[in-house]
Amino acid sequence: MSSATTSQAAAEKGSKASTKKGIKETLLTPRFYTTDFDEMTDFEEMEPLFNTDQAEFEALLQEFKTDYNQTHFVRNKEFKEAADKMQGALREIFVEFLERSCTAEFSGFLLYKELGRRLKKTNPVVAEIFSLMSRDEARHAGFLNKGLSDFNLALDLGFLTKARKYTFFKPKFIFYATYLSEKIGYWRYITIYRHLKANPEFQCYPIFKYFENWCQDENRHGDFFSALLKAQPQFLNDWKAKLWSRFFCLSVYVTMYLNDWQRTAFYEGIGLNTKEFDMHVIIETNRTTARIFPAVLDVENPEFKRKLDRMVEINQKILAVGETDDIPLVKNFKRIPLIAALASELLAAYLMKPIESGSVDFAEFEPQLVY
Amino acid sequence: MLASTALNLGSLGSCIVTVSAHSCHKPSLLLPFVALPKPFNGSCNSSWKLTTPFKTAVAAVDSSQPAQQQDTEKKKYYFLVANAKFMLDEEEHFQEQLFERLRLFGERNMEQDFWLVIEPKFLDKFPNITKRLKRPAVALVSTNGPWITFMKLRLDRVLQESYEADSLEEALACTPVSLKFEKPEKWVAPYPKYESEWWTPFLPPGSQTSKV
Repeated sequence: MSSATTSQAAAEKGSKASTKKGIKETLLTPRFYTTDFDEMTDFEEMEPLFNTDQAEFEALLQEFKTDYNQTHFVRNKEFKEAADKMQGALREIFVEFLERSCTAEFSGFLLYKELGRRLKKTNPVVAEIFSLMSRDEARHAGFLNKGLSDFNLALDLGFLTKARKYTFFKPKFIFYATYLSEKIGYWRYITIYRHLKANPEFQCYPIFKYFENWCQDENRHGDFFSALLKAQPQFLNDWKAKLWSRFFCLSVYVTMYLNDWQRTAFYEGIGLNTKEFDMHVIIETNRTTARIFPAVLDVENPEFKRKLDRMVEINQKILAVGETDDIPLVKNFKRIPLIAALASELLAAYLMKPIESGSVDFAEFEPQLVY
Repeated sequence: MLASTALNLGSLGSCIVTVSAHSCHKPSLLLPFVALPKPFNGSCNSSWKLTTPFKTAVAAVDSSQPAQQQDTEKKKYYFLVANAKFMLDEEEHFQEQLFERLRLFGERNMEQDFWLVIEPKFLDKFPNITKRLKRPAVALVSTNGPWITFMKLRLDRVLQESYEADSLEEALACTPVSLKFEKPEKWVAPYPKYESEWWTPFLPPGSQTSKV
């Protein structure tokens, strides 16, 4: 690991952090999103929601204790060799992928660890499950961070410590959103894995070979949130629940689509068509989510993809405005109609006729089902 | 807007690196905590109640020698069932899970306690289930009740029940059926569908493989 690169980057960020406001995004700045919140209040509200003692949680606990991937994350010399071969733009975009994935896994690790700690007295079974999930995330993140070291880099943790904000979402945000992000994580990883298995010439770095076992962890994490939702039927059984379900589906799908398009070079670098990859992941995630959310989006309707593609174009224009030499006031002025257009597409997508869905344990249509 | 793969909190201490690196190697939860499936010879453990009316002399005399009771004690089997197309053709993640579990059992020298049974005979005992079932049907059967509960959570669109049987053969008895699944009309994945017949390693021991 080259300490020169990291310490130099850290010094740069250190000086920028003190002058503050916008930090120029460099390759090593992990992206993260925060929400405002009042820490203690939200946790006090949250605790009653975890007061469950159903068989499903005992079953989940057993499943997590099994620790399927206990011995799975073992590196070999292929990693460094592959990293050394990668140069130029592909190398840069690869590092960014590792760094973003590592940040995401670390965030999950922290959230679950904290929830595991706080819920010990309220519900020891659920608390233990959170701790075991944080074990998984720590493993994933550690593996990715070691991958970064193949490229003579590491996550700049010093900077993050300074910028640290402990943010907790309202419970329904955690339940819906984390469910979606775990399940979408499963579908992203398994799709990349299976695609590369079928097209091994794009297997430029060995980490993808680990994705098949890795993503089963994500899938299980999603199942836990599924059980949490089922334990709180008010999140599943009324018109508000349906509106929230659709909202979170849309947020997660659009975020992924826009983010991935900005990084299309990475997906193309491993032989994928970025938009087709994303649509496949969205369709499968949506199908999975229909097993628990009371309403999901009609993502297979061609109009949905058309809207996503228009949002990509608008987003590209917004980013282009940022790159011009205009003064900030002019830039903001130029952005206004574009942001309005984006909001309009989002709203239209949200208002598209949804698909009724849900777990057979709750769904109104269950009596008509044939298994 | 939320991160696409996980919630990002962005709060990391430098100690996290050592914690995470350490936990990669830490054998965090070892076998003692794993709820091992009941060994196949039907040995008693504290949570298994004797419900059978058959009391042999052996059982009455000496419960510390459970192996001798195996032929006369009923065992409980838990199952999930749905139509074959759903269980074997549509749910690709299900296939991954079963192979993962099989690999784990191999690694830890555990005896297989879960099977896929095509057109199981025990369904005859459940008219309430069969009247809602498309045929041919396939059941996931296991002696591990909590695991079946977990699988119900995962698969959702299945019916769950349990039954007792005197022997594994009786429990997993089935009617041979040939299965053929149509290729999906629409396939948008950047990879090919999993091959048919993947379920062979999970069929009851000694049973015929279904023909395509």
